[in-house]
Amino acid sequence: MTFFVRLLVFTLPQVAFGAIGCTLSNPAEDLKYLYPQMTTFKEELKEFPRLPNGSAQYKGLKARLGSDLDPIYEAYETPYTVYSVFQGSTRIGVVHGVNVPGKGGVIQVFLSLDPGTAAIQKFFFQRLESPAARALRAKEFREQFHGLTLADFYKHDYYAAAEPAAKTDRVGAIKPPVMDGAARPDYLASLRGIRKNLILLDYFVFGNRFEPFFERAREAAAKGKSRKD
Amino acid sequence: MTTQTRTDPFPLRRYVVLAVKNLRRRMVRTSLTAAGVALAVTVAVSLGGFMLGYRGAIDESIDMLGFQIMIMAKGCPYEAATMMLKGGTGLLYLPADVYEKVKEDKEIESITPIFVGVAQKQGSGIRDDGGENNFLIVSGIDVASYQVMKPWITFKKGQGFDGGRWFTPESRTEVVLGFEAAEYEQRKVGDTFYASITPAGTPNAVLHELKVVGILDRTGTQDDGTVFLPLDVTREYFGRPGQLTILGIKLKQFSGEKMREFETRWLKLPEVQVVGLQQVKSTLVGLVATAQTMIAAVAVIAILVAFIGVINTILMSVYERTAEIGIMKALGARRDSIFQLIWLETVMICFAGAVAGSGVAVIGSSVVERAIKAVADLGVSGSIVRITPAVIGYAVLGAVVLGFFAGLYPAWRASSMRPVEAIGKGN
Repeated sequence: MTFFVRLLVFTLPQVAFGAIGCTLSNPAEDLKYLYPQMTTFKEELKEFPRLPNGSAQYKGLKARLGSDLDPIYEAYETPYTVYSVFQGSTRIGVVHGVNVPGKGGVIQVFLSLDPGTAAIQKFFFQRLESPAARALRAKEFREQFHGLTLADFYKHDYYAAAEPAAKTDRVGAIKPPVMDGAARPDYLASLRGIRKNLILLDYFVFGNRFEPFFERAREAAAKGKSRKD
Repeated sequence: MTTQTRTDPFPLRRYVVLAVKNLRRRMVRTSLTAAGVALAVTVAVSLGGFMLGYRGAIDESIDMLGFQIMIMAKGCPYEAATMMLKGGTGLLYLPADVYEKVKEDKEIESITPIFVGVAQKQGSGIRDDGGENNFLIVSGIDVASYQVMKPWITFKKGQGFDGGRWFTPESRTEVVLGFEAAEYEQRKVGDTFYASITPAGTPNAVLHELKVVGILDRTGTQDDGTVFLPLDVTREYFGRPGQLTILGIKLKQFSGEKMREFETRWLKLPEVQVVGLQQVKSTLVGLVATAQTMIAAVAVIAILVAFIGVINTILMSVYERTAEIGIMKALGARRDSIFQLIWLETVMICFAGAVAGSGVAVIGSSVVERAIKAVADLGVSGSIVRITPAVIGYAVLGAVVLGFFAGLYPAWRASSMRPVEAIGKGN
């Protein structure tokens, strides 16, 4: 308990307003829990201002996310910490967390990804204060995301524009947890957090490998819009 | 025929030039000796900066409390001290009638009742079972009297924060967040804020949905990490109606005597302790006194090692230059001239080391501060290492004095040499 009081009262005053990152509370223990076979891990700090094409990528984040970025808490300067997990010299996992504003407080959405396929191995919350917390934390709900990649989210956008209710839409097939209406904003914020997390990892780790899927989804959306007009 | 004696108007300059030349002849040895002195000075300056900074940080933290005296339930003085400075977790509560009794004291200028509670954040951590819990400090306050105690508190302005204000006393859903609490929860004015509070005597937390009506500017105190609610509402949410954690008090006249009188008057209540800022200060200073003594011992050892190193270096230099010193004396150099030259070399090494060491201490002060904070929770926020010009001045002066003493023996040895013997030995 003292640790958290200290964390709250002492650690945070060092950080400028808004540019607060999302790190694991106890990286060594947490990563060992996620990957029991882990022998070492590496932390890398990523910030848009330090990326070669950071400004354009930050602007592109909004389009890929499909929603506005909070100007204070999802600012250009926000730092992100990417954890690479190793067994010997082999990288066996990538772990990354993001903050997303929930209805009643911050939600910290973490993903562990396969470094080869960029597919979600595990999705979990580090912080979540919500009437729907129990439902969102339920293993059955979270396991639906296992194996998904950013491509599946972009495909979901494509199907929404070109082939609504397509059976191959894996994201569209995710069943929301049972919850009352007041808790829905936190469910939507969690989905946004997963997507934001995947987009950032595509930028930081996977060399924008899912961009073609985004382009196809964007074209489909543009066509759908012109048909409506 | 008349002989004119021309005297140099700057005799010291000749000594300095000669001493510099001598020192440069063995550059590596000179640098290593100066580095030894620099290391000792770095330790001494850092320690001096820490002692000064820590006391200053305690004074500032206490000033920013707004009150001079705190009345709280009986408990450990350290707990009381940290509670005053850090907000604490206040698990002991004052009975309801203490406030009513104490506020009638005629010596009190202002008094503010505070209820501190710890709200549990819903399961956090990455484990499937929810893992560790996170905590939130909730302060129930009476806004009017709190503002009298802390007139410097202002609301943050700017995008997302404009229109901040205190909650109305009767509001059950309005909340004000401290600077860091808002940042940590990523809240803005008008946002919803959830707090899970477990009422006393019940097993389950109740999730309260509150509305953020204001976010405070940074104060550098425990207020930054605190969530503020109206006093009565907080006590109701925590299931402790009428109870309080702290009474913050400002006396009309504050002195040691007045404090003792006040303490005597109110210690008659069996369940309370009266904690004055001087007690808090001495408690916290006492907590680090042992550590400071140990660090001081390390500094003394470093200084002794440097002292011996300087003597050794200069003595070696004197032995190497035995013939040269003999020739100088044979050519008419006086005994005191040789003494002064060797002495000056010693002082110059110490001075150079002191300047370099002070520079390192200044540059590395933030590292030292982070290291101290990493190994020990000192109970204060703000900078705890303050290296002032006075600290540097004393350190440099100390090093020069060290040089004076370190140079005495080698200088005496050099000046005592007989020219013929010295030339013979040197050859």
